[in-house]
Amino acid sequence: MAVLTTTEKLPVAAPPAAGTRPRRFQWRRAMWVGGFLLPAVVLIAVLLVVPFLVTAYRSLFDDNGVSSHFIGLANYVALFTDPDFGRSLLNTVFWVVGTLVLPVLLGLLIAVLTNSVRWGSVARTAVVIPYALSGSATALLWTFLLQSDGAINQTLASVGLGGLQQEWLLHWPLNTVVMILATTWQATGASMILFLVGLQTIPSETLEAAKLDGAQGVRLFWSIIVPQLRPMTIVVVGMSIVNSLKTFDIVWLLTRGGPGTASETLALTMYRETFTLSRYGYGAAVSVVLTVVVLAASWLYLRRQATQR
Amino acid sequence: MASRIVRNVLVVLVSVLWLVPTWLVVVNAFTPAEQYTGSPRWWFASGDILGNIQTAFSTAGVGRGMVNTLIYAALGAAIAVLISALAGFAVTVMPVKRPAIWFWGIYIGTVLPLQTFLSPLFTGYAKTGLYDTQYGMLLIYVAMTIPFAFFVNRNFLMTVPREIAEAAQLDGANWLRMFVRVHLPLARSALLATFVFQFTWIWNDLLFGITLSLSPNVRPVTATLADLSGSYGTAGPPVILAGALVASIPTVLLFFVFQRFFVNSLRLTS
Repeated sequence: MAVLTTTEKLPVAAPPAAGTRPRRFQWRRAMWVGGFLLPAVVLIAVLLVVPFLVTAYRSLFDDNGVSSHFIGLANYVALFTDPDFGRSLLNTVFWVVGTLVLPVLLGLLIAVLTNSVRWGSVARTAVVIPYALSGSATALLWTFLLQSDGAINQTLASVGLGGLQQEWLLHWPLNTVVMILATTWQATGASMILFLVGLQTIPSETLEAAKLDGAQGVRLFWSIIVPQLRPMTIVVVGMSIVNSLKTFDIVWLLTRGGPGTASETLALTMYRETFTLSRYGYGAAVSVVLTVVVLAASWLYLRRQATQR
Repeated sequence: MASRIVRNVLVVLVSVLWLVPTWLVVVNAFTPAEQYTGSPRWWFASGDILGNIQTAFSTAGVGRGMVNTLIYAALGAAIAVLISALAGFAVTVMPVKRPAIWFWGIYIGTVLPLQTFLSPLFTGYAKTGLYDTQYGMLLIYVAMTIPFAFFVNRNFLMTVPREIAEAAQLDGANWLRMFVRVHLPLARSALLATFVFQFTWIWNDLLFGITLSLSPNVRPVTATLADLSGSYGTAGPPVILAGALVASIPTVLLFFVFQRFFVNSLRLTS
């Protein structure tokens, strides 16, 4: 949601009243401003911006942690010819599309449904609880459910549906699909809350007028509610894109990107190359690609939204 | 009529779909580890969740992890909120040249993916002796949470009328006095909202926890739980589930206590 409102113009502070000795005054003013700004700027520069630049620089080296030499763009060439990287990119696309469509659509539907049913608050609480759990707790829960001898298979066997048992996490693309579903279970609560906030901002006169004109049910939903929720939809979709590109916790805890590298996303490929295989240059190249994808996706999305309004 | 029935059925279906996994976890976290047969239970075997929690605390150090995480989340979020309030005050109230550049300089932190920082941070931490220390963890969590806190605080301070600052200046207040006496009290609700958000973010982080720390005295609870799931066979699912439930209590409580408040602050910032 953050990126969206930053295009507004920042206020330009009024020039200070001219002092008797302007040079000393300016110096003192700089001291004050520095004192307020520096802690934030220094921390961001030292711990985030410099590491990012180091990563970008390092991606041009063949670096195994012991020795390193400059190889230009060879890491990137190797990356794009590596079939594992193609799979990782494909999985990332799955994650973006899956977590874009499912939690956003379900969040919208559940928000609208529970808003008009009397005991909707029960359903809302049920959907919000997983959102309040931490990502690690959610992942442990789904490990328990999805393992080959886990809760889902045991339950299927005990009700006589043993034929439906699967090795949920051991085959691609099934493992990626079930992990996206698990994430949907957790993330829908967030988009539902945001859509509920949006629903409350629709003027009741608009809805009543539409009802007087005979709009009901599905018609009312598509023609009135969905267009009115547009500003909130932009926020929710923007958040989903960025979050899905950074997906790490749940895949790391459920499959470690495996079996082999089958369920890896870009975030996991980068982690494995760097910290498991000590291929620092190659891992850096992966994270530069990830940064470019995140920036491009945010930019494309925001630009389209800006021109459509 | 028909549409009302359809709607009610759908609401029931949603509730059941979402509650079943939650129910299974709670019930099985209550099952004594030695009675766990490998197939999940659907009803409480006994009320003995304390035994499982005790095992999770004694064999896996979940308690130690929670204390570490509490320090990082509470202290880290508080420091980040204070620093970002100072910076937000500077770019909105003080006569800074080119406030937009300073704004983007700080805000850039939310745009870059976390993974790009990891490897240089690891190397830098190893060289400076910050690796596997509580100071090091606190430092990175403060830096990670500043950009978003800064954004919310700045947005709030933009809504404060200029006249208030001018009146304080006429009264002879210097910048620090104005910040502490006028703007901090005005921004109280925005500060609290960002504190809660950033506390939750730090509490749930896994990536920095498993990368920048190693020893049980430093590792956050998410990393401890991740280790526990790696050794799934030795501890047994009930113990792991009990540990995960206990580790989720603070964020769940915080979330439900501040739910209404969250909704209001979201309406304000979006």
